[in-house]
Amino acid sequence: MTPPDTPALIALINDELGLALEPGMAGLPLDALPGWDSILLLRLVVVLEEAVGRPLPVAELLSAGSLEQIQALAVSA
Amino acid sequence: MSGAGTGAGVRMRLRSAAGALPGEPVDNAELQARLGLSAEWVDRFVGTRTRHFALGTTDLAGLCTTAARTALASAGTGAQRMDFVVLATATPDALMPTTAAVVADRLGISGVPVFQLQSGCSGTVQALALAEAMLVSGAGQGLVIGGDVCTKHLALDRDFRRMPPAELVNYVLFGDGAGAAVVSAEAGPGSADCVAVRHRPVRPGLPPGQRVEWYGAADLGSAEPAPPVSEDYKAVQRLVPELAGQEGEELLGLVGWSGQDLDHLLPPQLGGLMTERITAELRRVLKADRAAEVSCVAETGNTGNALLLLQLARLLPRLSPGEKALALCVESSHWISAGLALEAS
Repeated sequence: MTPPDTPALIALINDELGLALEPGMAGLPLDALPGWDSILLLRLVVVLEEAVGRPLPVAELLSAGSLEQIQALAVSA
Repeated sequence: MSGAGTGAGVRMRLRSAAGALPGEPVDNAELQARLGLSAEWVDRFVGTRTRHFALGTTDLAGLCTTAARTALASAGTGAQRMDFVVLATATPDALMPTTAAVVADRLGISGVPVFQLQSGCSGTVQALALAEAMLVSGAGQGLVIGGDVCTKHLALDRDFRRMPPAELVNYVLFGDGAGAAVVSAEAGPGSADCVAVRHRPVRPGLPPGQRVEWYGAADLGSAEPAPPVSEDYKAVQRLVPELAGQEGEELLGLVGWSGQDLDHLLPPQLGGLMTERITAELRRVLKADRAAEVSCVAETGNTGNALLLLQLARLLPRLSPGEKALALCVESSHWISAGLALEAS
């Protein structure tokens, strides 16, 4: 499957994790995202791996500071 | 609470403590294999390395009975010599008969009072306080038991992507286990004097930090039953360190100790990382620089009512003559602060 681009990643997160993020928020620090919580990363790993159809580098993903960085990891994995 | 001070004023001695954990430890890699939850996330954000799951292997009564037998043997006494039993749990095998009564029966204890306390993480302190009252009113020795089978609430076929964080967090925090202690009015080899034991709700009106449901026939027909366990973990993260610090300061003041007097510190335990943080904060607030941490949650997971007994089982062999220990618990369900001050007999 194709890794999501940034707007698609935002849409995926809103749909699967129940947030209400806007595309312009992808560069914000994760902690600055409305409704963000570290436990959401646990769910995001599962959601993203299913979306791209292959395992992702979880250690790097957990270290990511923003959704842009997470999206880049999903693309390059 | 028990009277402050030491020596002649002490009304309860901890003679032994023991734990029972079901099966082999389940590490984070196995948790990932079973549940699909990232092991690296658990390592990084929770810090609990292993836990034990009872599901399908034993019930709570079985774990409690095993722990009690070990504690009795360790104290060099027998079940028939117990004058009472107090068992604390949030997850009894059934609402009736009580798990306490089942455990007493399996141990061959009859004809003495058997209590069960419905409780969370402060349950063992509550049980010890009740035990102390029994000893004060003439009992010679008794059993204090605590345990939980948290996996009762884990459904392995759930879709974690859609699980609310307040529910999901329980899958990575908790484990199953039981602990037991023999307490007596008289000191014995290797015993610890219980200098103070107390517990009480401290945040009236605050919404519960954790809620565990039980369902009856009428509830089961409901279209959307409430999740069996939910946790306001942000409130827990914020309040538990604060309340533990307050309880520690007050308890030290009541018994006339300073933090510098403490040789051992038994902190509240939630997950491995949070316990590390709470311990560091307690050492700072209480000025208990040289107190050695006695904890188990990184290896056992959060076993609810068993936790303090598992900590006490680790403490007693380390407690040298004259040493002092302080144990602190915060039950987030209704924000109950609890503490125990111990001194080697």
